[in-house]
Amino acid sequence: MLHYHEPDRDYGTPAPAATANTVSLVVDAVAVSVPEGTSVLRAAALAGINIPKLCASDNLEAFGSCRLCAVQIEGKRGYPASCTTPVEDGMQVSTQTEPVARLRRNIMELYISDHPLDCLTCPANGDCELQDMAGVVGLREVRYGFEGANHLQAEKDESNPYFTFDSSKCIVCSRCVRACEEVQGTFALTIDGRGFDSKVAAGDNESFMDSECVSCGACVQTCPTATLMEKSVIDAGQPEHSVVTTCAYCGVGCSFEAQMQGDQVVRMVPYKGGAANHGHSCVKGRFAFGYATHRDRLRTPMIREAIDQPWQAVSWEEAIAFAADRLRAIQQRHGRESIGGITSSRCTNEETYLVQKLVRAAFGNNNTDTCARVCHSPTGYGLKATLGESAGTQTFDSVMQADVIVVIGANPTDAHPVFASQLRRRLRQGAELIVIDPRRIDLLHTPHRHKALHLPLRPGTNVAMINALAHVVVNEGLEDSAFIASRCETEAYQRWRAFISEPCHSPEALESATGVAADAVREAARAYGRARNGAIYYGLGVTEHSQGSTMVMGIANLALATGNIGREGVGVNPLRGQNNVQGSCDMGSFPHELPGYQHVSDATARGRFEADWGVKIDDEPGLRIPNMFDAAISGSFKGLYVQGEDIAQSDPNTSHVEAALGALECLIVQDIFLNETAKYAHVLLPGSTFLEKNGTFTNAERRINRVRKVMAPLAGKEDWEVTVDLANALGYPMDYSHPAEIMDEIARLTPSFAGVSYAKLDNLGSIQWPCNDAYPEGMPIMHEREFPIGLGKFAITEYVATSERTNRKYPLLLTTGRILSQYNVGAQTRRTANQTWHDEDVIELHPHDAETRGVKDGDWLGISSRAGHTVLRARVNDRMLPGVVYTTFHHPGSGANVITTDSSDWATNCPEYKVTAVQVEKVSQPSSWQQKFKAFDRQQTTLLQKGRRPAPEVSEG
Amino acid sequence: MNGELQHLIAMANQIAANLRPAAADDAAAAELVAKHIRLFWARSMKAQIIDYVQTDGTELNQVVKLAVVRVGIGSLTDLTNLEATCQK
Ligand code: SF4
Ligand code: SF4
Ligand code: SF4
Ligand code: FES
Repeated sequence: MLHYHEPDRDYGTPAPAATANTVSLVVDAVAVSVPEGTSVLRAAALAGINIPKLCASDNLEAFGSCRLCAVQIEGKRGYPASCTTPVEDGMQVSTQTEPVARLRRNIMELYISDHPLDCLTCPANGDCELQDMAGVVGLREVRYGFEGANHLQAEKDESNPYFTFDSSKCIVCSRCVRACEEVQGTFALTIDGRGFDSKVAAGDNESFMDSECVSCGACVQTCPTATLMEKSVIDAGQPEHSVVTTCAYCGVGCSFEAQMQGDQVVRMVPYKGGAANHGHSCVKGRFAFGYATHRDRLRTPMIREAIDQPWQAVSWEEAIAFAADRLRAIQQRHGRESIGGITSSRCTNEETYLVQKLVRAAFGNNNTDTCARVCHSPTGYGLKATLGESAGTQTFDSVMQADVIVVIGANPTDAHPVFASQLRRRLRQGAELIVIDPRRIDLLHTPHRHKALHLPLRPGTNVAMINALAHVVVNEGLEDSAFIASRCETEAYQRWRAFISEPCHSPEALESATGVAADAVREAARAYGRARNGAIYYGLGVTEHSQGSTMVMGIANLALATGNIGREGVGVNPLRGQNNVQGSCDMGSFPHELPGYQHVSDATARGRFEADWGVKIDDEPGLRIPNMFDAAISGSFKGLYVQGEDIAQSDPNTSHVEAALGALECLIVQDIFLNETAKYAHVLLPGSTFLEKNGTFTNAERRINRVRKVMAPLAGKEDWEVTVDLANALGYPMDYSHPAEIMDEIARLTPSFAGVSYAKLDNLGSIQWPCNDAYPEGMPIMHEREFPIGLGKFAITEYVATSERTNRKYPLLLTTGRILSQYNVGAQTRRTANQTWHDEDVIELHPHDAETRGVKDGDWLGISSRAGHTVLRARVNDRMLPGVVYTTFHHPGSGANVITTDSSDWATNCPEYKVTAVQVEKVSQPSSWQQKFKAFDRQQTTLLQKGRRPAPEVSEG
Repeated sequence: MNGELQHLIAMANQIAANLRPAAADDAAAAELVAKHIRLFWARSMKAQIIDYVQTDGTELNQVVKLAVVRVGIGSLTDLTNLEATCQK
């Protein structure tokens, strides 16, 4: 096995809460000192002594049901369970006495007498704690036969696509139940019945699929037997080696062990040493990796002259030369600025860095942008303007110190599931929750949570809401004056204070705009303002608005005013959507910024890059994605290189995007599948998945995690190698033999990455930037002593209503979002069994709106906006506000973005996905766009089939 | 008027609407708007809006009109490197 730091080890029970007191004891003649509250089992493990155990695991509270961990303690009667016995000073513990050994053998004998003895053919063979324990306790005979009552005939539940539940093998240790409650926070499992009849039940004695289960796999991972087992392991057998890497789905950035047989992934197991996830994961990261070997993967480069022609499979050299010739020819004819590139928030930092370098150095312009344009560009703008750095301020773990948690425009249980589990743990411990969102998100349904407040505001009124909250803080004396005086710029603060104190910003004055009762707003402001630690988490419901940037500044104002910045438990935390959105922004993907957010007009920064790269860099910003589209349609922009993004599906106003892509003379798409954008391409360069390359991703807490290659790239090249080839073909030399060298260059040129290297990453596991001489191991909590701009800067945040308004023709507001099982445009997750949960996008509407239109659940609904028209199936759902409808965009044929408009954030052009005025009505057939889409899709798939070479023979030896 | 210019006009007006409240008067607001455009707009976008102000400008609000005249366009004078690679 390849281990990069301390191997996973199970210490039996969790570490106790931090305390100053240590307790000293002796275990089997070994003296050991541990923090007060440690269990005897854990103390022994820390001393290197492994007491047998079955029901205990160090990610679960001890339960004491199996008794296998019995020990003898001097001066105590009987054989206490070491997992539930806390250490005491001077304790003398014996873990291996004869009576204890006998007791353990008896216990194991009872377990085994009701357990199938098919070890050799059992899928857990080689990875079964029951088997291990039988070995450890020296079980040699089982006196009770299988004649008596037993559970051997119990039925299997195979409803979940990824794991089975074979209850004949269950020892009722309840680890799964506790994992579901404590680790995941879902409470889907219970132990049903008592004594001999007790068994594990999902939901109300339902199948796993019909229960509340969200398929996170925590129960599967903790099950000591083969009862809960990954189907992939049942099929393939036990893995023989493993490599630690990082999930390529969401911005949580979970660490995983890719457990392998040769170059086949057998299973993904969340890595306990992962600082973002501590051994937990969600259904996407753990189970949905099958897309990597899906038959739809592009395996050969392809080219064509025009998009109505069949693809022609060619060699890498031919494809790269074809692309380079086209791009240069376009520049000759239409000028240097007529081409550009789009970097990917799903690719690695190194790959993203190279694409923007290609654009700036080889294309000779700054026409580079990334899909963060359409999600978190306002975060960059807003946080830089107020706090001085375009990134979240905390670690995920910081939430465990928060007392009041404000969640704005985010749905963590679906979009950031592992962080949501941690957040729920904190809510169960007693933290107060405030949700500002038009929808009643699932977080509000957290079992055993304490107080929660929901402010269901009208879409598009975020800034009015944040101003009202700040108004209350200022007018009710809830400001942290000491913090403001020492940490914030006085003049800006005074201007802001005068502005926000005006009566027009009071909750009462803004009630008619937000639709939220003033009392509730005041209550929320008081809770946050008075909290010892108040933390704000926000998502795309904040950024994807015409005032996205203003709202981000409003959030920063509120945190500054209450002193909730610069320590554990507080902060301003953007929840980033895709795995490497943070990284793609850090790496200089935006047209106005070089890596590390250094403006292109900054001569000193630019000079450093020019010296290193050996070229002149344009000192004017380049085009953003929407401007590229406009310029393509008006004819001045002709060539585009897109790496790992699907702008045709993810960007708003699809018809406009399609017109732009159709107008390009050369579109080069590098992707793992024929995505929607690729259907308009002239050059197709097969991409590689995260399993096929080396690199790094940066998660939402600025944590740089390593991505490690576990299999060869299907088409022969890692994505960065393709960019290198293209640069060389364009006459700009790039020469790297490993992404580590690219990281060294990044470190050389980017002050916030100065101290980052692969060696250090391997050593530390991960690093939160900034990492430099002052902070050689990175900076978990930002702004502790000062801001990068010195003092924090309050910003004026006037509420300007969006021009996207309802009227008689479009009386409803459409807002869009995501669901747990699917990821972004769905290109990956749609090619896995995650389809089982969400095989189509639906339109959710409130029962009241449904009734007035005569709509029933499951009806086809036509949805029209100023931009377009599409048809989706209706789901009537009272978690919506009346007047607001909701959909997702995981399936291209849904055309969710056919209806979203050009309206965008004033500062960054981040599209206003969250507000579109629409009308809905019952219809009987797909929209004309959908019909056209279908025909086009069919045509392009056929053109691809024609070009596909038969898969190359795999040669032996 | 083409769609591109239409968008630029809408963008400029929107920037002004959001920045005006942060400034004491139109002139100060114009400075903020000009700075924003200078920092975030591409050369071709600047050129189009400048041209529009000079030829028509009717759809722009007052602050934008004041701002646009202050927007200078930076220059990439030394194109030798690119020209060299283009020759290849
Ligand atoms: S998979 Fe996760 S949610 Fe489902 S039962 Fe297991 S622990 Fe609970
Ligand atoms: S399913 Fe596994 S974890 Fe759950 S009670 Fe049975 S043996 Fe224990
Ligand atoms: S999708 Fe996100 S939460 Fe789920 S495993 Fe991957 S990184 Fe973790
Ligand atoms: S491990 Fe202690 S009782 Fe089961």
